[in-house]
Amino acid sequence: MAVKTELLPGTLDLLVLRVLSRGELHGWGITNKLEQLSKSALQVDEGSLYPSLYRMEDKGWIEAEWRMTENNRRAKYYALTRSGRKQLEAEQKLWDRTSSIIAMVLESA
Amino acid sequence: MSLLRRLRHLFRRQQAEAEMAEEMRFHLEQRAADYRADGLPDRDAQYAAQRRFGNTGLLQEHARDTWGWGWLERSANDLRLAVRQLVANPSFSVLAILTLALGIGANTAIFSTFQTVLYKPLPYPNADTVVRVYRATSQKPRGNIAPADFLEFKRATHAVGDVAAYTPANASLSEPGNPAEMAYAARCSANLFGIFGVSPQLGRSFLLEEESPGRDRVVILSQRVWLKRYNGDRDIVGRTVRIDGEPHKVIGVMPERFNDWRHLGMIDFFRPLAFTPEQAADRRDPLLRVVLRRDPARSFAEVTGFVTEFGARLAKEFPDPNAESNWWAVPLQSSLAGNTNRPMFNMMFALSALVLLIACSNLANLLLARTMGRAREFAVRGALGASRIQLLRPLIAESLLLAVAGGIGSLFIVAWFGDVMAVRSTGDNGESVIMEFGWPVFGWALLAALVTAVAFGLAPALFALRLDLNSTLKSGGRGTVGGSGHQRFRQYLIVGQFAVAMILLAAAGVNICGLQELNNRRIGWTSDHLITGTILLPAATYPDVEKIAAFHRLALERLRALPGVASVGISSFTPFFTWQDNRKFVVGGRDLPARGHEPAAIVNSVSAGYFETYGTRVLAGRAFDERDTAEAPKVFIVSELTARALFGRANPIGQRIAQAVEGVPQWGEVVGVVADVEPAITDLNLAPSQVYQPMAQEPRRQNEIAVRTSGVSPSMLVDTIRTTVAQLDADLPVHQLQHADLTVERANYQTAVGRDIFASMAVLGLGLAALGIYGVIARTMAQRTGEFAIRLALGATLGNITRIVLASGVKLAVAGSILGLLGSIAVCRGLAALNPGMRMNGTPVLVFATLLLIAVALLACWIPARRAGKVDAMSALRAE
Repeated sequence: MAVKTELLPGTLDLLVLRVLSRGELHGWGITNKLEQLSKSALQVDEGSLYPSLYRMEDKGWIEAEWRMTENNRRAKYYALTRSGRKQLEAEQKLWDRTSSIIAMVLESA
Repeated sequence: MSLLRRLRHLFRRQQAEAEMAEEMRFHLEQRAADYRADGLPDRDAQYAAQRRFGNTGLLQEHARDTWGWGWLERSANDLRLAVRQLVANPSFSVLAILTLALGIGANTAIFSTFQTVLYKPLPYPNADTVVRVYRATSQKPRGNIAPADFLEFKRATHAVGDVAAYTPANASLSEPGNPAEMAYAARCSANLFGIFGVSPQLGRSFLLEEESPGRDRVVILSQRVWLKRYNGDRDIVGRTVRIDGEPHKVIGVMPERFNDWRHLGMIDFFRPLAFTPEQAADRRDPLLRVVLRRDPARSFAEVTGFVTEFGARLAKEFPDPNAESNWWAVPLQSSLAGNTNRPMFNMMFALSALVLLIACSNLANLLLARTMGRAREFAVRGALGASRIQLLRPLIAESLLLAVAGGIGSLFIVAWFGDVMAVRSTGDNGESVIMEFGWPVFGWALLAALVTAVAFGLAPALFALRLDLNSTLKSGGRGTVGGSGHQRFRQYLIVGQFAVAMILLAAAGVNICGLQELNNRRIGWTSDHLITGTILLPAATYPDVEKIAAFHRLALERLRALPGVASVGISSFTPFFTWQDNRKFVVGGRDLPARGHEPAAIVNSVSAGYFETYGTRVLAGRAFDERDTAEAPKVFIVSELTARALFGRANPIGQRIAQAVEGVPQWGEVVGVVADVEPAITDLNLAPSQVYQPMAQEPRRQNEIAVRTSGVSPSMLVDTIRTTVAQLDADLPVHQLQHADLTVERANYQTAVGRDIFASMAVLGLGLAALGIYGVIARTMAQRTGEFAIRLALGATLGNITRIVLASGVKLAVAGSILGLLGSIAVCRGLAALNPGMRMNGTPVLVFATLLLIAVALLACWIPARRAGKVDAMSALRAE
């Protein structure tokens, strides 16, 4: 197993939005996808994921719908809304800027 | 959007909860399946999934917070808990709610009076642009205006607005087939109704040309008289009624709002104000009440400026009656009856706040006792990590709930108070007193309730926070811990309650004694077996002195002849009311004093038999008798005080004095001296000089008849007297024909309403204070059961124990009374200053109030004292 890394605070929303931008997923799917994409380097804490999902739903960035999975189970699928897409872009830009600045500082110091 | 979602969550919350649970279950199952795929056994996989997921409940709670109803939900929970707590302790809850309802009710009831009298606008469309104009003199700051001045004012006022005047007076109202009745009538300018913006509901208003003598025989009825006397008959318009014996045509009926008791409610009907040329030139008789509707383009300040300027000009042009007067104006609302009595209202309001204060401190005591009873519970919850806020929330919820219940209860008291006032303070003409019972009153009750809850619910709650965890838990589970801090706090509350109760008692006491003195003030006359009544002889049917004198002669003759009648007198004034006839006198054989500085006296015209009937003692000389006719030489009788003022030590009998009649001195001889009389109403000028003249020598239309009976109860003769007068003139009503005691009492009824309000507040305050001291002493004694058991076991007697308990209560009561004495003295002084016409002696009241308070404290402590003494020593000690 690879070394688990703690998420930087505030980055979970960005990651969830990014994952959902590829298509709708349920909560379990989001967990899996994040672990998969990070090659198991990230372990998503369910205790943060669900409140984050409800919060973003409340803000209107994502919307939920109950549907059947491939295994015929009922699950709540989350999808990005128009304002969620805008939010993703904004957060992505912010993240790019922040990380490049940090990288710059770290390299030149 | 977000709010919508929250609302949806609120209404579909069960579904939302279920969905959340299902979503998490799905997640757990998937995770478990994952673990199973990794080769874990079924049960381990489930546990691992659960471990990984964490606390589902906590997660759900966080999620609920996101939906935004968490705060509300917790509050709802607190309230639910509080309701359950209150229902579980019905005796505590009922006591607390009742206490609060009484306290808030007393305060809100006075607030409703305040609101009605001082602030609720008059129901006239133009009420806010109308001002009342006064002519102030040193005796009368709110004096009225003489006709000539009014006419001049009217001509001058075109620029700033519209002016009207009215003047109320008694008049008889009759029509064929209906007994005559004394009514309160007003003569008014044709434009008066227009100035207020109110027109008759039936018929028409007055025309300008009806403001002239001869054309003024038209009348507009108030709705009250229209309903009461004419049964609301719509055909009344156009009919003819007799007013003071003269036919008048009814031309209209005013709407109900014109009956507002604060303004023109006592007026039964209106007639046009028509001046004869002499009246129009009169600058001396201030009989008109003047209102002005300002042009909306003019500000109030401009109008008052104009009025003041006009007054100054008048003083310059006609210095004789006006040199020392000035004119001023106030908004109509500020001219209403209550405004002149404002300090009295403020006092009442302040005292009602004191009642509320007692109620509140009772509530604080009750809550504190309860909180302390639950000390262990708080300590445990605190030990388990409850935050201060979490500990306080249920307590605050409880006091809020109590306060709201008390506030609602108080509204019933306010409504009841309104009903009582409507019956109790209704005037002689039946104008109904209606207290405000609307949103401002509800708002006040709610506000008072909330302030109470926060201020007096929080104090005991804070004591709960200061509990020492360790000692509370160690103290062995009996809820009552004797922390000295809250013990002292409760004792302070009791001392404060008694101090406040003392003030309330003192205020009630001086009012009760003052009114008692007023109603029973029989200085210079006696009232047993005395019937009095008022007759007004109308100018139309009694145009000259001969007619009036003939009526007097006949009336005296017929009334004297009635069986059971001892003596009869007719006079222009009664000894128990103010004499409205002030004249200047000069003494014969002396230099004339400077003009305007002659000695003044009030004058009463009285018939033969007057002094005998009223029981006024003749001290020297003789009373008037049949000799003193119109043709006989002019004679006077003076009161003792007048005799001393005019003649000093010289013998007054045979002295000659003169009164100015229409500018001409009228000389006469003093034939007698009688005792001074004092009015039995609140009159500022209690003992002025009094002079009597024979009725026959100056017959007056205003007549007070007095009949003293012998051997017969006065009430038996009332109807006989009425029919005797009606036989002389069917159009003559006898007003207020009843025992003189009743007339005096009726005249003081407003003072009596005030006394009743003060007295109820005192009774309420005393009752609540008694309840308070009972509660505290009973609880303290219950805590000391063990101590008493030991004392008893060591040989103390029942009396010893009783004395300890009584002493602890009385100590508090005495401390409170002494503290309250200071405030009481101030209140007594204030009340005496506000009621200069009453004799309010505070000293006996204060002594009595102190004794009463101590007696009440003894009584309230008696029950716990007996209980403490009856402790069964063995069982009490075993329970330790």
